[in-house]
Amino acid sequence: MKKINLFNLVILALSLAVVGCSSDDDTNVDNGGGENEAQARYVIAATPVASEGVADYLLTANNLSEGSISTAGNGIEQDGTYRYYVTNNNKFFSLLYGQGNPGAVTTYELGGEGTLQMLSDFQSETVQAFAPVNEDVLLMKISRNADAPVASWYRLDTETSQFVDEGQINTAALAPEGEQAFFSWLTQVGDKVYAPFFTVKACCNDSFGTSYPDQSWVAVYSYPEMELETIIEDDRTSFIGRYFTNGLSVDETGDAYAFSSAVAVSNGDFSSTKPSAVTRIKNGTTAFDETYLFDLEEASGGYYVTDHVYAGNGNFVVFMNKEKTSAYATGNSLAVINVYNKTFDWISGMPDAENITSITTNNYVGEDGIVNIGVTTRESSFVYNIDIATAAASQGLEVQGGNITAISKLDSAK
Amino acid sequence: MQYRKLLVILGLLCFRISIFAQASNEISGVVKDQNGNPVFGATVIVKDYNTGAVTNEAGHFLIKGDFRGQLELETSFLGYKTKNTSLDLEAENHTGFTIQLEELATNLETVNISAKSKIQQIEALAYNIDVIDAKKLHNTTLDIGHALDRVSGIRIREDGGVGSRMNLSMNGFRGNQVKIFIDGIPMENFGSSFQLNNIPINLAERIEVYKGVVPVGLGADALGGAVNIVTNTYDKNHLDVSYSYGSFNTHRSNLNAVFVNKSGFTVQLNAFQNYSDNDYKVNVDVADLQTGEYFPNEEVKRFNDEYHNETFIGNIGVVNKPYADRLLFGITLGQNYREIQTGARQVSVYGERHTRGNTIMPSFKYQKKNLLVEGLDVNLNANYNLGKEKIIDTVHRRYNWFGSYVDYDGPGGERTYTHAEFQNNNGVVTASFDYKINEEHAISLSNVLNTFDRERKNLLNTENDLYEQPQKSNKNVLGLGYKFDKEDWSITGFVKNYNQVNIFEEAYNPTGNYGDVAYRHKKDRFNDFGYGFAETYFLTEDLQVKASFEKSYRLPEPNELYGDGGILFEGNTSLKPESSYNYNLGASYWFNFNNLHQINLSANGFYRDSRDFIRPILNQNQVLQVMDNLADVTNLGVETEVRYSFKDKLSAGANLTYQNLRNNTKYVGGQTSESVVYRDRIPNIPYFYGNADASYNFKSPLNKSHPVSVGYNLLYVHAFYLYWPSLGNTKLDVPEQVSHDMNITYNFGEESNFQLTVECRNIFDKKLYDNFSLQKPGRSFTGKIRYSF
Repeated sequence: MKKINLFNLVILALSLAVVGCSSDDDTNVDNGGGENEAQARYVIAATPVASEGVADYLLTANNLSEGSISTAGNGIEQDGTYRYYVTNNNKFFSLLYGQGNPGAVTTYELGGEGTLQMLSDFQSETVQAFAPVNEDVLLMKISRNADAPVASWYRLDTETSQFVDEGQINTAALAPEGEQAFFSWLTQVGDKVYAPFFTVKACCNDSFGTSYPDQSWVAVYSYPEMELETIIEDDRTSFIGRYFTNGLSVDETGDAYAFSSAVAVSNGDFSSTKPSAVTRIKNGTTAFDETYLFDLEEASGGYYVTDHVYAGNGNFVVFMNKEKTSAYATGNSLAVINVYNKTFDWISGMPDAENITSITTNNYVGEDGIVNIGVTTRESSFVYNIDIATAAASQGLEVQGGNITAISKLDSAK
Repeated sequence: MQYRKLLVILGLLCFRISIFAQASNEISGVVKDQNGNPVFGATVIVKDYNTGAVTNEAGHFLIKGDFRGQLELETSFLGYKTKNTSLDLEAENHTGFTIQLEELATNLETVNISAKSKIQQIEALAYNIDVIDAKKLHNTTLDIGHALDRVSGIRIREDGGVGSRMNLSMNGFRGNQVKIFIDGIPMENFGSSFQLNNIPINLAERIEVYKGVVPVGLGADALGGAVNIVTNTYDKNHLDVSYSYGSFNTHRSNLNAVFVNKSGFTVQLNAFQNYSDNDYKVNVDVADLQTGEYFPNEEVKRFNDEYHNETFIGNIGVVNKPYADRLLFGITLGQNYREIQTGARQVSVYGERHTRGNTIMPSFKYQKKNLLVEGLDVNLNANYNLGKEKIIDTVHRRYNWFGSYVDYDGPGGERTYTHAEFQNNNGVVTASFDYKINEEHAISLSNVLNTFDRERKNLLNTENDLYEQPQKSNKNVLGLGYKFDKEDWSITGFVKNYNQVNIFEEAYNPTGNYGDVAYRHKKDRFNDFGYGFAETYFLTEDLQVKASFEKSYRLPEPNELYGDGGILFEGNTSLKPESSYNYNLGASYWFNFNNLHQINLSANGFYRDSRDFIRPILNQNQVLQVMDNLADVTNLGVETEVRYSFKDKLSAGANLTYQNLRNNTKYVGGQTSESVVYRDRIPNIPYFYGNADASYNFKSPLNKSHPVSVGYNLLYVHAFYLYWPSLGNTKLDVPEQVSHDMNITYNFGEESNFQLTVECRNIFDKKLYDNFSLQKPGRSFTGKIRYSF
């Protein structure tokens, strides 16, 4: 069961940032257009639950509110077990997690028939963070080795599916003596790239352990030069985001909200004394807003946040977990929060948290404020459609034969 | 180069010794047939002295006594004309001469049934067993691994050329699930310098392959089969030297020398060497290092794939003494160097990564038949490997398949910055006792103890060694068997006890204060029992049926429990043993017509019902693999083999294996609904494959006393899917593979002591793939010269 959750953790919520730039007014999800007008399609990545020989399958669907699709005899097989996905510039990128090796990335677009068409393959390093920035995808490969404290970044042009720039960052220089920075994720904030990080020992049988569990850091880089401008610090929470997980999102006013899970570890034990909370970096500033802290542990009655999805107007869907058993676990209890007025509402209509074996963190947010989340229960996998206004979920499309690992949407390229 | 000099010196040494080693009161020699093959079981009688001897597998005989003057030897064997040889003790050498028998062409039927070779004797056992007569392959350049690839039911999968990682699969079991033995000693952690992929076939006399049920004598925790490599044992002076050169700058040489004097003192030396650039061509997409763009389907040469190993095995001791049939002290010394061209897939390409390893392994062997009491055979072995393995990835570059690269600043590696060393300190002690109570009843007891005590070193940062805590594992497998034999049937039953104790240190935080580290001692134990039986019955003299069953366990290996120190595998100390119920049912039939054509048919059906298969998954932060008990699998399959021979001129055979390997894990990952791939075929494993071979022997048209042999071998593997067959509609597969090998051997010199072989593998230069899509060498040519006596 743990395995499945872990798998999901690789797959990150990115598409929402992308939707903004890819959804044009003339695209109509309903068949309102002429006969030959191509339609948009949801793209669903599904992984069969099996112990070996596992590949992801890319499925397409017209709508997410009802019906059923299956991986049996259906879908485009992806080469390699552990893949992650990102959508930008109306292209769907399928990246192989190559355990330190470079791997092939396949780029797809939606063809006229409403099917995925492969555009090209290109080679990429195995990276631990990647995010759309402008028309690019910025990728970061981060060392966890004290003998080589280096993070390499790569800038991918989504128009040509080719890398146009790369550089290196000394991660030891960002962290206190004896540790090195590990970026949890990358977020475009205005015209900068904000890179929250945690610090790790990267050695000594305690690679991901830290002696600084009560500290948060965000490195601010110029773009596209990727020059370090400043490091924003705060000691009211533990670090922002977590391994392979985004912890920073920007609202419509340009304010960035930072999510801390408080899952710092030392020698395998959770060591942070700070609560899991949301903090804020106001638009145009390079400091945490000292006046703002939303304690999610308090609001939820003892849960901590593992992941979040921004749904507009200060609303977030948050993934909450009760027991801290692993720094890599994804929470199965979902809530809607509003960061402006600090409201916290558990979502109704979801399966019981104990009945959920896997939940998708790479989800889709529709223009209508509906958040589509893939949930695998003990019975099957479904897309749950969450209405933010009412904090109510309804069961939608069934995906037979696999965990949903990503939900995205493409418009027809033609 | 130095190596070959050594060969020559050793060779000369042996010649000299053999000249001085002539005795006065014994007669010894070799009985051969007209083709120069040794005759096993022939009787040699010294007339008027009322004494004689029977030849051993090598055709060798030794008769002791007080002989004088003119002697008359009578040599006889079923199917051959009895031969009288006169011998003048004063005038002639009376050791090491050859008696040649002539075949009685009219009596082939009797020969085939009664005169079973050692190989036929073993195959006639109740176990499901295949035996490779390695001597027939001594003219080839095969290593043990590739020889095994020709056995029905076995597939050897490898990453590339000479010295590349090999993975043996047998009836659906893979890797460590099949145990490899050398002379009955489990080859666990012998080090990378002494493995299936580098041991030349010339080291072996025969290779026994046990499928599904493993006899107590090979006491170990094999889940579904075992391979026992039986090395050449000579109780007389012997020399076998060979050298080969072939495509991709491949050099191999082998020396096997045995010296025995009349008092039984013996020295045995075996040395072999492999070298290859492995620079064969592959078809790949080559990435532009700056932009990531692929140049599709380029034909490029491999450029970081050099491999070489040098291994020496020496034994010194006595043979044929009242207190010991064999008592040997020995040492295996070896080293190897291997460049790593690719990761698990061809898309990951390296230019500098490599590994080094060495083996320093003292050993002890003791064998005695009829110890103290008649019928009690004792076998003791012990060895300890002090060898080290190193992995080196310290060049901070990214290569592509054109061999061009980008340099990066600062320390780093191509995959992970590593310079690590291991010493696993592996010990193996085996003891077996067989007691034949009478003609019908026999019992056997065997015990195998493995010890493991790993030391690790991070050569990049030696301060880190503080954190390297002890990792120990002791494994003991004890077996007790009983055998009942009656004229036309035989049954064996056995129980095995599997025991493992793992001791390691676990890091924890004793106070809860930041940065506080302490270690607690942990001890894990496993204890399990397995059992089984094997039965055979001869319905007629030439129709045999066999049935066998075993419940077996395999205990986790130290690498699976403790990982490999962060190179590829992370440890999982909570692994359970994997277990399996194995069933076999088979029949063999021999017949011939016109007394010239001999045909053997055999078929074997098998069923495996396996639980808790140990399989790798990615660890929590997905950087390393970690082993887990994941899958239940069933396998119902059939193997068939047909062989035909015409006198000793022509021999041809073919085997086919079909296995229906099915996923039997109904519920996965806490699901209550049936898994979508329940009962689906296990992907990425060949399920239909076979071999065919033919060889033809004739006399050289130029010189009638020089035999020539032409051989052909075909390998067929049906296409199979990389991932679950039932899922998806655009799928990746490994295509059908057919490869043809040919060789021709010319024997010359006195008694055909010299052999010259020319070999061509993969004649039609087909693209061959193994593990995932790693491409193997195309057409290759090799020449080999061999001298033996």
